[in-house]
Amino acid sequence: MLVLQSIVLGLLLGGLYALLAAGLTLYFGIMRVVMIAHSAFLILAAYLAWWMHDRFGLDPLLSMVVTVPLFFAAGVALQRLLLTRLRPATLTMMSVLLTFAIALGVEGLLGYAFTGTQRRIQLGYGSASLELFGARIAVVKLIAFVLAAVALTSLYVLMKRTRFGWALRATIQHRDAARLLGIDTERVAGYGFGIGLATAAIGGTALSLDTTIYPSLHWHWIGPLMAIIVVGGLGSVPGAAAAAMVLGMAQSLLQIPMGTTWAQTVFYVALFATLAFRPQGFFGGRLAQRF
Amino acid sequence: MPINHFRSTAAALGSATILALTGCSGDGSGGGENTSDPIVVGISLPLTGDFSEPGKGVQEGYEAWAKVVNDKGGLLGRQVELKILDDQSNADRVVADYEQLIGKDQVDLVVGPFSTRLVVPSARVAEEYDMLFVEPAGAAKEVFEQGFKNLFYAAPAVANDHYNHLAEHILALPPDQRPKTAAYAAMDDPFAQGTAYGLKEKLEAGGVKTVVNEVYPPNTTDFSGIAAKVAAAKADVLVGGSQYQDGVNLIVALQQLGYQPKLAAFSTAPTNPEFAKAIGNKTEGILSPTGYSQDAPYESNKEFVEKFKAQFGKEPEEDQANGYTTGQVVAAAVTAVGCAEQGECQKKLVDWLHSNKVDTVVGPLSWDATGKPQGAHMIQQWVGNDIKIVLPSDVKEAEFVYPKPAW
Repeated sequence: MLVLQSIVLGLLLGGLYALLAAGLTLYFGIMRVVMIAHSAFLILAAYLAWWMHDRFGLDPLLSMVVTVPLFFAAGVALQRLLLTRLRPATLTMMSVLLTFAIALGVEGLLGYAFTGTQRRIQLGYGSASLELFGARIAVVKLIAFVLAAVALTSLYVLMKRTRFGWALRATIQHRDAARLLGIDTERVAGYGFGIGLATAAIGGTALSLDTTIYPSLHWHWIGPLMAIIVVGGLGSVPGAAAAAMVLGMAQSLLQIPMGTTWAQTVFYVALFATLAFRPQGFFGGRLAQRF
Repeated sequence: MPINHFRSTAAALGSATILALTGCSGDGSGGGENTSDPIVVGISLPLTGDFSEPGKGVQEGYEAWAKVVNDKGGLLGRQVELKILDDQSNADRVVADYEQLIGKDQVDLVVGPFSTRLVVPSARVAEEYDMLFVEPAGAAKEVFEQGFKNLFYAAPAVANDHYNHLAEHILALPPDQRPKTAAYAAMDDPFAQGTAYGLKEKLEAGGVKTVVNEVYPPNTTDFSGIAAKVAAAKADVLVGGSQYQDGVNLIVALQQLGYQPKLAAFSTAPTNPEFAKAIGNKTEGILSPTGYSQDAPYESNKEFVEKFKAQFGKEPEEDQANGYTTGQVVAAAVTAVGCAEQGECQKKLVDWLHSNKVDTVVGPLSWDATGKPQGAHMIQQWVGNDIKIVLPSDVKEAEFVYPKPAW
């Protein structure tokens, strides 16, 4: 009974993790950028969803109509105006510093605009649930899972089936060769970064459905998300999704015998194991062949 | 280092003066001072830095107390004057502040700063100078393990005693109604855990079986796993040792799993003004201990709330009440003993407080030898769309609802 419930919860949790980590792995794939501020943007999107619900009574899902384009534009601007200015030789290192500063900036602005008071969107269906073979599935968690499935499938189709996706993958795989083929890699990288940040808008909305938010919450998320993308193979969205599902499920099931504190360490154990035995990640291939 | 040299000279002079004063009042009966001099109360507070928010709250409480006392003609016919220094939430600063207040400025009385971290070092200074030290914050048990003899915590209870009224009430239920099992989920934090484990100890001793005992780190983001364990155990009683967001997240996660306990108690979260906004109308029957309520029917509380609103244009919260309570405790001792100065008088004030009960805005207070308050917190319960005092019965605003309605 408890095991079945935990499996269901683990699946739902894994889906949420996959959505939240998707953008993070994309940035690294496209640009070798470690985006510490990703989770800060998740919280920003969650705050915008809360604010629109609080102010205009808008359902958080509708807030995506505004936040997704907004975040896409912000992502393009961020890449074109700031990240391209970093020297390629030290890009990965310096991007940590730059995005760390951005994370602090976002956190500070959230505190300034909305105060440090902890908020939660109060939804009529917030505690509603469906029953399946005796296990309960919370409606909000199911919505978040569906959001994750739709967003990740769209991303996959975009990458695999569209000309833009081919260009983006070419840029990920070999930037110089892509440029020789006439791809405007700068522009493509900008849009790629925009897409990454747009997933943060969707992820933040999913998060806001079932979490109490506060400006510094993003620090609690960035660690597990980083672990997921390393285990999944940096730059591979399907890899990150698979790693997220496995780790979410492991966390949920390990909680039964080990308790919350130890169950959380599964992320870091997986991270160490990956770095020690398979640094390229367990789910992605070699970096050049990802996607 | 001329400045330091000057300071230590001043401190030495200060202690010499204390010795001289002690000598003098030793001879006389100790009652004959100038009634036109104000009684100066020295305080160091974190007005900037980490604790500036609660620090300012306590300051307002002290100021409200001084005004109320002075409007009534002062203490022993003398006006009360507060001398407040800013310690910047810094433990080194707070020590220097109290040495200056006692040694150089020769204040008549001192009262405590805010937070355990600052209370312990400052209490040590007060102890060195044999000054009475009543403090508004420092509920952690470490405060009472230092061997202080002059310290008094001016609040109803330390964390482990918050739920005492609830434990008594549960164990006094007839055996067929009494809950059989209990689940505990507490944040890994001395205060939050202290509240839950205080109740756990008493319920276990009373025969209520513990079926789940989860501790989660402060950075926990997912509460559905803990909720699944609690729900699967179907415990009668649910106790959450929570701060704010963890309590709210856990309650919602439990509701999603359809768990309906007979009794649910959470520390801190349910008394937060945001609580009902977060959970909506599903708060029914949730319990929480509280150190202060504006609605508590203690005699001086009505006066406090009224005068505080007139002075500051807002309702007093727990920090303000703690500062005010501290003032009340000192005032009661001063009035009863009939003196307020450094020297032998301080010992008399300490002795008086050790053997007497003081009526305050948080109820009657008394202390053990370590200065630990002997009371318990009031228990509030969500009834309708408001949180009301239900225990102890002499101050209740509403009947205790048990078993709690479904949420």
